[in-house]
Amino acid sequence: MANAIYSGLVQRLLRVPPAIYVFLILLIILSISRPHMLNVNVMGIFIRQVVPLGILVLAQQLVMRVNSIDLSGGGVILLINYLISSSVFPGAPLWFFVPMALMIGTGIGLFNGYMVSKRRVSAVIVTLAVSIILIGLVQFLSSGKPPGDVPSIFSDIYNTKFWSIPTPVLFWVFLSVLMALFLARTVFGRYVSSVGANAQAAHFSGVPVERTVILAHTLAGLIAGIAALVQTASIAVGSVRVGLDLPILAVAATILGGVVFGRGEGGVSGPFFGVLSFALLFVVMTTFGIDDPGKLMAQGMIILLAAIFYGVRTAKS
Amino acid sequence: MNSGQKIADSDKTVRSKVRNMFTGQQSRQGMWLLPLLGFIVLAVVLSVQTQQFFSAENLFNLVAQAMPLIIAAIGQMFVILLGGLDLSVGSVISFTTAILALEGPGFILIPAVFLLAGLIGFTNGIVVTRFNVHPIIATLSMQYILLGITRMLRPVSGGTVPDIVISAVAGSFLGVPLPVFWGLFVILVAWKILHGSRYGLHLFAIGGGIAAGTTDAAHNFGIADKRNIILAYMACSCFAALAGVFLAGRIVSGDPNVGLGFEIDAITAVAIGGAQLSGGVGSLHGTVIGAMVMALLANGMNLANISPFIQTAIKGAILVFVVAFQSRKRMGL
Repeated sequence: MANAIYSGLVQRLLRVPPAIYVFLILLIILSISRPHMLNVNVMGIFIRQVVPLGILVLAQQLVMRVNSIDLSGGGVILLINYLISSSVFPGAPLWFFVPMALMIGTGIGLFNGYMVSKRRVSAVIVTLAVSIILIGLVQFLSSGKPPGDVPSIFSDIYNTKFWSIPTPVLFWVFLSVLMALFLARTVFGRYVSSVGANAQAAHFSGVPVERTVILAHTLAGLIAGIAALVQTASIAVGSVRVGLDLPILAVAATILGGVVFGRGEGGVSGPFFGVLSFALLFVVMTTFGIDDPGKLMAQGMIILLAAIFYGVRTAKS
Repeated sequence: MNSGQKIADSDKTVRSKVRNMFTGQQSRQGMWLLPLLGFIVLAVVLSVQTQQFFSAENLFNLVAQAMPLIIAAIGQMFVILLGGLDLSVGSVISFTTAILALEGPGFILIPAVFLLAGLIGFTNGIVVTRFNVHPIIATLSMQYILLGITRMLRPVSGGTVPDIVISAVAGSFLGVPLPVFWGLFVILVAWKILHGSRYGLHLFAIGGGIAAGTTDAAHNFGIADKRNIILAYMACSCFAALAGVFLAGRIVSGDPNVGLGFEIDAITAVAIGGAQLSGGVGSLHGTVIGAMVMALLANGMNLANISPFIQTAIKGAILVFVVAFQSRKRMGL
């Protein structure tokens, strides 16, 4: 009897995405070592920094739910940042840049989706290659130098606050809620989970598998475009290195949040906490003086351990 | 393709025989004749464009330039034959040069490099087979961990590698530069592993099963699939380490960024050489041809004064183009 309760409890605890545990552990570490940092203002600034990552994670988890992956986010962010900050469109207003960014993102997402679902190209290869092409293109156009400044309206919007919470954070929460509703309440959301669980079974049940994968990738591209806008607003200058490590971090946060290829157990909240864990992790590592190589190793270890955690569980079931 | 009838039909006409020869539709070795033609065309174009191309000096130079990619691509091929990918190749190369540039005697550093590479490959293999992690995720995280360790050992390029490594790359024997012998040695070893041993046959069997969607097909025929997969990842890392040793000899120092993007180049070379990324189809000669095509392209683009940034973009486009024309059943990763 006691044994059954025990194993039931363990089962339930194991079902919680690792992101929650990591988040809690980091929060405890931070509250012991730097208690004065835990207030709304300081935390708001730290969380605001990871909003582009958080938005990109929404894209990543959508494609990972249909057994795919999108590593092209870095290239999309770099291209949009270049187009906004360079003098390609001098003095263009905000209402020009926003649709432009969204259209570029959607177009690249559509290309990825077409290649993955119709031509059956490995998603890693095609999105990685797209990213390489875009990065090469931007670096060629800017000849490797930072292009210029971002129109000030971007950083003006970025720096606003509502009830002492930064606007980008609210925007991220809003998009996450939207994504959660979209996955839970629409037919497309059901298609996504059925394609992820078993594409062949979904096909025989009448689910338009190819169209679902294309749409997931297209939406991911659109969201990457949004992430690019927020990232551009956050650094407020043009750069030829911005956002290059974001796709990998997005994969890490998504896996940490319990959304692994084809399985969306963590929901939208799991990856959300995954991103928050990374926000805290950066703070903790900075306060303990761990530099760039240590951060790279930590990223790698987190992806590896989270993936092993889910891999072992799949093998058992 | 699934019935004997179809094969018998296709054998009737000479035309379809020729077509099969070029597209490699029913071959385990994949489409390698077309890349060979591409290689010859590229070589002819380059030799017409520039007078010095066919000089012995330039050709030997080309071999030396292409050698790291050839070695790394051969390693990558073992993993691709199993339907996997090793994204940690570039990091292993950087890591190797960083280790070699630690001040120490060559007879300790060189075995240490291969020991460490074997350990890295072993870890990759264990994580993939025993912990059921997707190869891309496993090797991606390994790439980041190694990158971190390499940058910790050597934040910027510097140090000197042991003299024996430098002389093994720069010298010549009987008037022929040593890189040519490196190439012969690597190809012979890989040929023995792939086409001259039971292990190579097992690799094709396991990969074919994975490509067809029945992951335990080879296992059911009594092949120790997990052990063989682990060995393939170890071979991949060891070949990458060999490429790293060669590169270290050429640049004479340790460089944390020398291997950046090498894994993508290696995958592109294997894909150009006719291997199917879903596994089970590929060949050693195809891989070598693919790597030589890449080297010739780089050489030609350098001669044409094309910006290095555009060169990377073109390489990416080639990868998408080549892979887009491979037939595959599985969707997604």
